Amino acid sequence: MIRRVLVANRGEIAIRIARACRESDIESVAVYSDADQDAPHVRAADRAVRIGPAPSAQSYLSIPAIIDAARSTACDAVHPGYGFLSENAAFARACEQAGLVFVGPPADVIERMGSKIAARQLMIQAGVPVVPGMTAQDQSDDGIREAAGRVGFPVVVKASAGGGGKGMRVIRDEESARTLIPAARREALAAFGDGTLYVERLIDRPRHVEVQVFGDTHGNVVHLFDRECSIQRRHQKVIEESPSPGLTPAVRAAMGKAAVAAAIAAKYVSAGTIEFLLEGSGDSAHFYFLEMNTRLQVEHPVTEAVAGVDLVHAQLAVAAGGPLPWTQAELIQRGHAIECRVYAEDPSEGFLPQAGPLLLYREPAGPGIRIDSGVVEGGTVSVHYDPLLAKLTVWAESRHAALARALTALRAFPILGIRTNLSLLIRLLGHPDIRAGRLHTRFIEEHAQELLTRVDPSLEALAAAAVAVPDQPSTARPPVEGAAADPWRTIQGWGR
Amino acid sequence: MPRTITLRDSRGEHRATIDDDGGVTVDGAEIATRIAGPGEVRVAEMGRAFVAVAGDVRWVFLNGDVFEIEVLPDGRRRRAAAADGSLTAPMPATVVRVEVSPGDAVRRGDTLVILEAMKMELPVRAASDGIVKTVNCQAGDLVQPGVALIHLE
Repeated sequence: MIRRVLVANRGEIAIRIARACRESDIESVAVYSDADQDAPHVRAADRAVRIGPAPSAQSYLSIPAIIDAARSTACDAVHPGYGFLSENAAFARACEQAGLVFVGPPADVIERMGSKIAARQLMIQAGVPVVPGMTAQDQSDDGIREAAGRVGFPVVVKASAGGGGKGMRVIRDEESARTLIPAARREALAAFGDGTLYVERLIDRPRHVEVQVFGDTHGNVVHLFDRECSIQRRHQKVIEESPSPGLTPAVRAAMGKAAVAAAIAAKYVSAGTIEFLLEGSGDSAHFYFLEMNTRLQVEHPVTEAVAGVDLVHAQLAVAAGGPLPWTQAELIQRGHAIECRVYAEDPSEGFLPQAGPLLLYREPAGPGIRIDSGVVEGGTVSVHYDPLLAKLTVWAESRHAALARALTALRAFPILGIRTNLSLLIRLLGHPDIRAGRLHTRFIEEHAQELLTRVDPSLEALAAAAVAVPDQPSTARPPVEGAAADPWRTIQGWGR
Repeated sequence: MPRTITLRDSRGEHRATIDDDGGVTVDGAEIATRIAGPGEVRVAEMGRAFVAVAGDVRWVFLNGDVFEIEVLPDGRRRRAAAADGSLTAPMPATVVRVEVSPGDAVRRGDTLVILEAMKMELPVRAASDGIVKTVNCQAGDLVQPGVALIHLE
């Protein structure tokens, strides 16, 4: 029985979890840093506790601060969300030691699957195919470079503790290895506190397809089908969909089976994801285990849409000791779902993250449209955290209809005051290759010219700008309640 | 009384005349507009535009495209760009490493400083060959956009 959950996260995922708690008659407690005092996730929970200053290392990544917050509010469970401490075995263990139920897999499972090297070994034993590669015994820069040479360029160097592309570099020759290996290690050390690297053969233009798995404490494991996540930038996903347009029924069935075998081998409990690289096409396509994410994924809404399930409700039920709410036979994949991640970033400046005020932010709505967001109009996007503003997830009967629905929704999603990737998302969804389902992980890079070029304003856009001049309040400023809600106000000391 | 203002976008300058009844003439073309709500402007035939004001910049959203359009106040020039040779942070960030010292010769494209923001490393590279004249930051510094980190000559 879980009565009160501490949500150890911020932004859209903290709000999504607080909602699921409320629907399950469970109280939720939010945590916040000084930068997030007025953030929407604080208001979404029943209570909120300050955990420290703005930098995540002293707040959302501070295990003692979060355990203290859970204890002081008499929580009996902790939901970590994704990112931050969600895949930190020490945190899961600290929860267990404090008598708190960790909503996720046991600490030793996180530890084993969190080491990419150990996870690879386990998958090889379980008969799940893995990408050819090696771990150097000699972890010096020279040792890694030698391992890369033996695997054969081009290679991918990855952080053993990694995820989200941090500490990861594609290395195409010996010379660039000299600068890229130390850079990967620095990033790995900074992000995970562990600079251990390993080397894999680069699979050229692969698709990234993953399978949602779910296990309970009674030995049941199911999969909830595939998600196509090939459209990425900086090794981070931008658009995800289910079902994957790249899988034939035979390959989909084989991948689901391999994912369940992987989850069983890992003794997995709660929601998890087995990521695969897909090489080739048709029934002869090969898939390789890439890594396991031992947490709820950012893109879980696409699975919820096509499978008609609520993964967070299921996580809470399983964490309380209950059985899985569904058997494999009961699960079906229906229609088509697409998620677009709306980031505060400038695609035409190398996807540079953007921080600043959200002067205007209006979400689209309509049948089959779901928005998970952690921001509001008038709020500020902080430099301290991830630049994800919102996730737009659409569901429709077919892929064609889902693409049209997503495009329509994006064209009615004005976000002003900071640069976003909105136009890029629109161009991606309209691209003939994407419409035809021809995707791969280097798609954005290879089509940069047509996807990232800025367009000039039309005369209509210039006219709209002209009438918005703020020194004519009688015509340009309709009455609004309260200055804080007024998107027409001039922000002092800001601009470019 | 109709007003005339100058707008600037990536192409250059545009003259816009705004009538009292919401009609706008841009580069000689007449376009009917109507303020439809907070931040919302109806624009003839193109549907709904959304506009926000940040200093001299008007942010405009129209059918999925976003534009930053500058309004040039009379008698004022755009802010001067940073002087040649100085390299600035593109956003608030933390300095991870400084790769050069005063007196170093650098080539175009060399990484001079590594910044970190939003959990990502952002290299600051030399825009041209040169000699490092001054280094105005050190590892651990929180730097603001527009402030010179390194000066080359």
